[in-house]
Amino acid sequence: MGKTVLIVDDSNTMRKIVSRALRQAGIDFSTILEAGDGQEALDVLSANDVDVILSDINMPNMNGLEFLKAKSEIAAIKDIPVVMISTETGADIIDEAKSYGAKGAIKKPFTPELINETLGALL
Amino acid sequence: MEHAQEIINSTQEIFSSMIMLDVTPGEPFIRNNDKLINSISGIVGLAGATKGMLAIHMTNAAALAVTTAFLGMDVEEIDDDVRDAIGELANMLAGSIKSILDPSGSDIKLSMPSAIYGEDYSVDCLAGAEAVTVPFAFDGLGFVVELQLRKDS
Repeated sequence: MGKTVLIVDDSNTMRKIVSRALRQAGIDFSTILEAGDGQEALDVLSANDVDVILSDINMPNMNGLEFLKAKSEIAAIKDIPVVMISTETGADIIDEAKSYGAKGAIKKPFTPELINETLGALL
Repeated sequence: MEHAQEIINSTQEIFSSMIMLDVTPGEPFIRNNDKLINSISGIVGLAGATKGMLAIHMTNAAALAVTTAFLGMDVEEIDDDVRDAIGELANMLAGSIKSILDPSGSDIKLSMPSAIYGEDYSVDCLAGAEAVTVPFAFDGLGFVVELQLRKDS
């Protein structure tokens, strides 16, 4: 049975690009859900079973780090793995993301192969 | 000119891997405040120890071609998809340049990307900043990537 992935990014373009890359990566996702910021992501997670989350960091309203922190405080969803996918991949910000539970980071620009490699270890 | 090669490397990598377009760089120059005609600009501000901006300026025709390739669907007018795509290109370019200028990621903050467009507008230079602009060509179309930096002591 295919997995469900949630893509969190304020850019509609980037959500489309990530969706396309997931298909090209050959991972069997039956459902691809989308959210435009951290708060929308929490709303999606409250209503859907999700296997893995790909989240941008730099977003309005609730950014990726705030989302990770909020998610870590909700028992029902705190164990869903999150991979950050962002232009912001400096050591300090990634360390902070990992301190809130992020399992990895993918730098934009990315390739389907890199997505496969990163997500494959989590699914 | 300083940082021209980093702009070339970052731009070619992003266009090659995300848009499947090979872009050819031209000779770097200083753009001054030249007006932009029938164009769209994606802009990201830099703040912190180093201030400035990263911008990508495209003619409408180039922006439509790039967005069509980026999204894999025909785009025929400057709409939300084009503005979002050009802003996201600026965002990736700024992130790439930031990773070179600030490897730890803690000294420079990036703004959210924005896009402006119109028949006749200008994007002013940051006072006291060092600036470099690199032109690129693809399929008979062109765009420029501009970096302005001012390091406050």
